[in-house]
Amino acid sequence: MHARRIRIALTALATAALLVTTACTGSGGEGADARNSLGDGPVHLTFWSSLRGSQEVVDAFNKSQDRIRVDFEQVPSGQLGGYAKLSNAARAGNAPDVATIEYPQVPGFAIDGVARDLTPLMSDRLRSKLLPQALALTTFEKRTFSVPQDVEPMVYLYRRDLFKKHGIKVPRTWEEFEKAAAQVKRAEPGSRIATFPTDGGHHLAGFAWQAGARWFDTSDSTWTVSMTDKPTRKVTSYWQRLIDRKLVFLNSVDTQAGTAQVGRGEVFGKLTGAWDAGGTMAAQPAQKGKWGVAPLPQWERDLKRGKPRVGTHGGSTFAVTKDSEHPKEAMEFIEWQVSSPASWRARLSSGISSQYPAAKGLLPVVRKAMDTDFFAGQDIYRLFRREAGHISRDWTWGPRMTATLKTLQDGLARAGGGDGTVLGAVEEAQRSTMPDLKSLGLDARLREGGRR
Amino acid sequence: MAPFLVLLVVVFLVPVGGAVWLSFFSDDQPGLGFGPERTVFAGLRSYEAVLSDPTFLAGLGTAALYCLVYIPLMVVAALALGLLLDSGAVRLRRTAQLALFLPHAVPGIIAAIIWLYLYTPGLSPVLDLLAKADLTVDFLGVHLVLPSIVNIAVWSNLGYNVIIFYAALQAVPREVIEAAVVDGAGPVRTALQVKVPLVRSSAVMVMMFTLIWSLQLFTEPMLLSQSTPVVGSRFTPNMYIYDAAFTRNNYGLAAAASVVLLVVTIALSYGLSRWTNRAARAPEEAAR
Repeated sequence: MHARRIRIALTALATAALLVTTACTGSGGEGADARNSLGDGPVHLTFWSSLRGSQEVVDAFNKSQDRIRVDFEQVPSGQLGGYAKLSNAARAGNAPDVATIEYPQVPGFAIDGVARDLTPLMSDRLRSKLLPQALALTTFEKRTFSVPQDVEPMVYLYRRDLFKKHGIKVPRTWEEFEKAAAQVKRAEPGSRIATFPTDGGHHLAGFAWQAGARWFDTSDSTWTVSMTDKPTRKVTSYWQRLIDRKLVFLNSVDTQAGTAQVGRGEVFGKLTGAWDAGGTMAAQPAQKGKWGVAPLPQWERDLKRGKPRVGTHGGSTFAVTKDSEHPKEAMEFIEWQVSSPASWRARLSSGISSQYPAAKGLLPVVRKAMDTDFFAGQDIYRLFRREAGHISRDWTWGPRMTATLKTLQDGLARAGGGDGTVLGAVEEAQRSTMPDLKSLGLDARLREGGRR
Repeated sequence: MAPFLVLLVVVFLVPVGGAVWLSFFSDDQPGLGFGPERTVFAGLRSYEAVLSDPTFLAGLGTAALYCLVYIPLMVVAALALGLLLDSGAVRLRRTAQLALFLPHAVPGIIAAIIWLYLYTPGLSPVLDLLAKADLTVDFLGVHLVLPSIVNIAVWSNLGYNVIIFYAALQAVPREVIEAAVVDGAGPVRTALQVKVPLVRSSAVMVMMFTLIWSLQLFTEPMLLSQSTPVVGSRFTPNMYIYDAAFTRNNYGLAAAASVVLLVVTIALSYGLSRWTNRAARAPEEAAR
């Protein structure tokens, strides 16, 4: 009997060991890049991005000069494996020279030492060109870790034709939005004014940002986490009410089903970043001329005080990695990419991008390159410019944002399945973020239901 | 013994030791973390983090619930089928055995893909049929997703366990069964009161393997998480470990979670063997 028990225990042990080994062997990074280490000939740089129109931009850059030769590799978007690929490559010591990182992930890649401190490499000319509200999101302790390409204030993309047909006014405030939502439901019981995305951790963050929330605060050299502060609670209870009254759809949007919902005309609009004007053009070509862009609804109080605020959704930055052997040249490429008219002409002429540049002085270029027939000729970039000016400066993204947003979305998805609430999802995301930060050795503290 | 010891050290003790070692260290950055990284001894910090993480505890809860549903179901179903095969009540015994065993030869990931197809609305012929009968079933919804995973696992592993029971039943001495029949026991009574007690040790083995396998649940939910948001990125302990290592780049945390899972697995396996031993001794003592 005793011998058998030992045997059983050993079997248990051996099997469990397998799981430890499989869980801890990483898949190594891939793709060693061809680098020119000799002085002769052009310097070779590798560039990873998932942004639309990047190939066109790289081609234009390579044509514009003959000292630097950029080899572009299209990678999957961050959530679909692009970030894991970048992390693994950096661990293996063969990260590309230039990588594309969205704003929420900048602190994480900076902390992990993947993104290099660019402060000494950045020219004053470039610095002065970039919108300060964008640069603030990539700068920590006075050091800049990546260069903003575009900054994307949230807007309301709406179906001009449907609002007109039912005589509903496009809402300017969240209070009006709720009323309009009820009107939409009355007019067309199978339709809704918008979707509250269960895959939209970024959306919810953007709404909280607009309301003045500070999920992460670094002002006293500590990561202060307060994802359930008062402004956030205002936002979650607002959306919970709309969800409970069934005034909005509650499902995923970045999926085929979400796109199909828009295609069938069941949603009257999308609350999203400015870039998504181009995304919608690409996804719904049949709805040409039927769309319009309105500012994101405001909280009445902000509007009365004459201080409209808005958060962002989306937007990318370019980082030079620690592995780069040619950081100067990499910076030159980045500067050209974010601030030269030729680069923006190349990207926008691919016909499916409506990024709002983070560098000043490019509006005439992008306005000319953008075909606005889809929006019945509306000057959408004028609206984007005004909204970009309203981006609130109080926001900082956290050190493990991919994980934080993923847990948030896991919670929202369960709420979408009838199990839990929006606030519950935020609370869970906060609770699971703290152990992460603590185990990284960061100075982090929780401010539950924080004031402000 | 030497080859065994070498293998034990290389494929078990070294990796486990590595994981334990890893779990005590961390690439730390003080303050906000933007300074240079250095590897420091972190003591039990990663363990504290794992055990205070609600998503890890929820994953353990999911695994526990899964075990409670899956293990009894598997043991009872496999034993019942084994008895049927053994009793000769099944025609075409070889064909039945093959049909039962075949799913086990299908790799887990393929099995998950097949079932995902059957679970997905709009693709699944089963759901289409149900829809015609005015029934909507959301196999990937909040309430049914765990049973759906159990179903995949039963389909994959049932045949294997049936074979274990069948082999054990074949080894039961025929004279014992003949004696039971002579004493007037019907087929059901023979099965339940004569055969089942004689294959107890196989039942314990099946329970043990199933328990260990269940605690490491990974492939099926990982695949389902791509298609239903209800299965989160840290749905089971193993998925938590994967997420810690490859989404959060926190190898110390992943190692600590692995060690915790290992300890839980050993504890539960030990508990199970204790429990079955005591249960085995109880009737003997009662008879004395």
